[in-house]
Amino acid sequence: MTPAPSPRFRISRHRRLAWVGSLLACGLSLLGLALCWLNPSIGAPLRPGLDFTGGTQVQVERDCAPCKAITAAEIRQGLSSLDLPSPEGEIAPSLGSASVQVLDGGRSLLLRLPALEADQSKALVDGLAGKFGPLLKSGTSVNTIGPTLGSRLLRGSLISLLVSFAGIAVYISINYSGVFAFLALLCLAHDVLITCGLFAWLGLLQGIEVDSLFAVSLITVAGYSVTDTVVVYDRIREQRRTLGDLPLVDQVDVAVDATLTRSLYTSFTTLLPLVALIFFGGSTLFWFAVALTVGIAVGSWSSIGVAPTLLPVLSKR
Amino acid sequence: MGRQQGWFALILALTIASGALLANYGLQLGLDLRGGSQLTLQVMPAGAITRVDSEQLEAVKDVLERRINGLGVAESTLQAVGNDQLVLQLPGEQDPSQAARVLGSTALLEFRAQKPGTEEEMRGLLALKRQAESVLRAKRPPSVSEDPTAPPPPEPPALSPQDLSKALTSLGIEVPTGTSEVDQIELLLRETNRRILSLYGPPLITGKDLTSAGRQQQATGSGWEVTLGFNREGGEKFASLTQSIAGTGRVLGIVLDGRSISEASVGEQFKVAGITGGSASITGNFTAEEARDLEVQLRGGSLPLPVKIVEVRTVGPSLGAENIRSSLVAGLSGLVLVAVFMVAVYRLPGIVAVVALSLYALFNLAIYALIPVTLTLPGIAGFILSVGMAVDANVLIFERIKEELRGGNTLIRSIDTGFSLALSSIIDGHVTGLISCAALFFLGTGLVKGFAVTLAIGLVLSLFTALTCTRTLLRLVMSYPALRRPTYFLPSRQLPPVKSAAPQPGLA
Repeated sequence: MTPAPSPRFRISRHRRLAWVGSLLACGLSLLGLALCWLNPSIGAPLRPGLDFTGGTQVQVERDCAPCKAITAAEIRQGLSSLDLPSPEGEIAPSLGSASVQVLDGGRSLLLRLPALEADQSKALVDGLAGKFGPLLKSGTSVNTIGPTLGSRLLRGSLISLLVSFAGIAVYISINYSGVFAFLALLCLAHDVLITCGLFAWLGLLQGIEVDSLFAVSLITVAGYSVTDTVVVYDRIREQRRTLGDLPLVDQVDVAVDATLTRSLYTSFTTLLPLVALIFFGGSTLFWFAVALTVGIAVGSWSSIGVAPTLLPVLSKR
Repeated sequence: MGRQQGWFALILALTIASGALLANYGLQLGLDLRGGSQLTLQVMPAGAITRVDSEQLEAVKDVLERRINGLGVAESTLQAVGNDQLVLQLPGEQDPSQAARVLGSTALLEFRAQKPGTEEEMRGLLALKRQAESVLRAKRPPSVSEDPTAPPPPEPPALSPQDLSKALTSLGIEVPTGTSEVDQIELLLRETNRRILSLYGPPLITGKDLTSAGRQQQATGSGWEVTLGFNREGGEKFASLTQSIAGTGRVLGIVLDGRSISEASVGEQFKVAGITGGSASITGNFTAEEARDLEVQLRGGSLPLPVKIVEVRTVGPSLGAENIRSSLVAGLSGLVLVAVFMVAVYRLPGIVAVVALSLYALFNLAIYALIPVTLTLPGIAGFILSVGMAVDANVLIFERIKEELRGGNTLIRSIDTGFSLALSSIIDGHVTGLISCAALFFLGTGLVKGFAVTLAIGLVLSLFTALTCTRTLLRLVMSYPALRRPTYFLPSRQLPPVKSAAPQPGLA
């Protein structure tokens, strides 16, 4: 049975709009990344979190209800009078450079310091308990990441990302063609760039930092983006037999139209649990879920509006 | 029909097996979900070794494992990561500082004799060292874990600022202005230690000559001492070492990791045979905690290579519990919404898909229990995403079936064609996903790895459930003629007008 080559929705009619939209989003993202990089307090395309900079992050929860209001300045003052133990011959890092955040109306304190030894963080928590306590023992979390580990993590994430790109490119080149692979990677770069761009702006405006979970989400977005694009490719390949004589633009239109419902439904069903995570999923996963939601939404957009519409332009044969 | 029943039996068996597995083993939760501490140790190259290889990593791991057992933390795990890192997990442990102290030092124990002719210099250095140590001890706030009933330490001999600066100058140390008193004393201690070491001869006995280590309260004073038992050879060496310095006024130095921790003089009475009996004790004026740490380290042996603690993460159990609860609520409510959506959009096959996806979730969890996969936050994220992929496979199939039905095909034929046409895109999507997982697993670090594992398991299972479970169940449902209506698949207005009236006879 030959499907009628008269798609209800012709993506090629809207392609200029699609391109302008994507270019605009990419431009804004690049601007955000550049501004972040130029910002002296950040100095990197994204505001790096503890996972990448190294250091110690201490979060404590005070055992009080209601809690007396407390200011960051008070805590900083309390910190400066603490004396940390130091290993023989080394001088304990100064607590003066700590960044202090007060959360939940004074209930939780979040401190960011240079990397501390386990002994020193214990002394710090004990000191905080003495000054601002009592503290809930079960609500204390101390994370220390050595400075070398951060760069290692970054390198590991980048290398694995690049290798998976290369693997995907090879797979698509073999199963489809080089142009398809190039466009799939372009789409993927588009999705990753826009997700990064959003977090660059969030870092600039809200002070949101990226952590290793963000790296995980970028990798996921990349994988999802390719899957989405490949479904459209698969349709184009399948139609070659019946519609091979039509101009590529029309073939693409038919393929996009045929897979449109699937693309929208799939994005919708994948986004449902993610949106649930944003609303109910605790603070730890909030930004992770945001990154995935945006990335997957953009990925689904690019698999409809970017990769297929560029295909006829690039493969002039 | 026979093959189909075979598949059905397999699915049933898998379901029962998964249920039993989960009931018996349960899931292993990561530290970020249940609270605890995690330490990452980096093995550092030293001496002639410029690159750490797996054999050396294994040797370091052995020693550390013995030390951890000495600490007596339940359920701790020590795993090698990459070529030169070890990750220690201490579930439920809120205070990793002791583990950090015990694991972080090399614990290279050496017994050395003082060189002849240095008695005068040694006496001065030791006096200075004792003074500085006791001042420092008094200045430190007492550790919380210390026994509150212990008598307060004796009043320290005063070390006035003048005396301190005189002592520093006599040792040739230049102190930058603005250095605090504690830091000055520490500089002083470091220099005296360096000089004391230079007065010792070569190491004659090392930790390798030990067979046992213990601790006991000192007979006099409040401190603790660490007792040592030597092997035969060690005992002989110890006897001849003590004999050589007995009654001379020279001391026996006990050096731990390049720090002289105890300097003992040997009495005249051992002139003849030295101290025999194969045992000794180190009276370094330890606190109970320090004595225990040293005992554990000496029992475990010294590390062949030094280690450095590069990461410490501690999560309180309430933070963990909150994470579990909220992630579970979110995950489940998301999945329920997906189920509602599938049934609303796809009708009868939607119900089949929900059953198949529930089985999919069950199989997934069973595999986590079986391998076992430790569930962490990124792992849960990987699981949720793989559910997305599994749903996608079903959506692809059902969209195809709908297309075929709209094109006027019979129901059974549409189902078969739908499955076979959707296959290539499902496989392409899953394979590209698996390529990413492989890259992430082999090249990524901790968190990323956990994500890759759950996503990969999810992808493989999703291929299986979409192509077998959904298919088998759908065919099973189609074997009931009453259910064989195209309108259970599609609104009747979308069906081609002529053929929509009567149920189609099965062709399969």
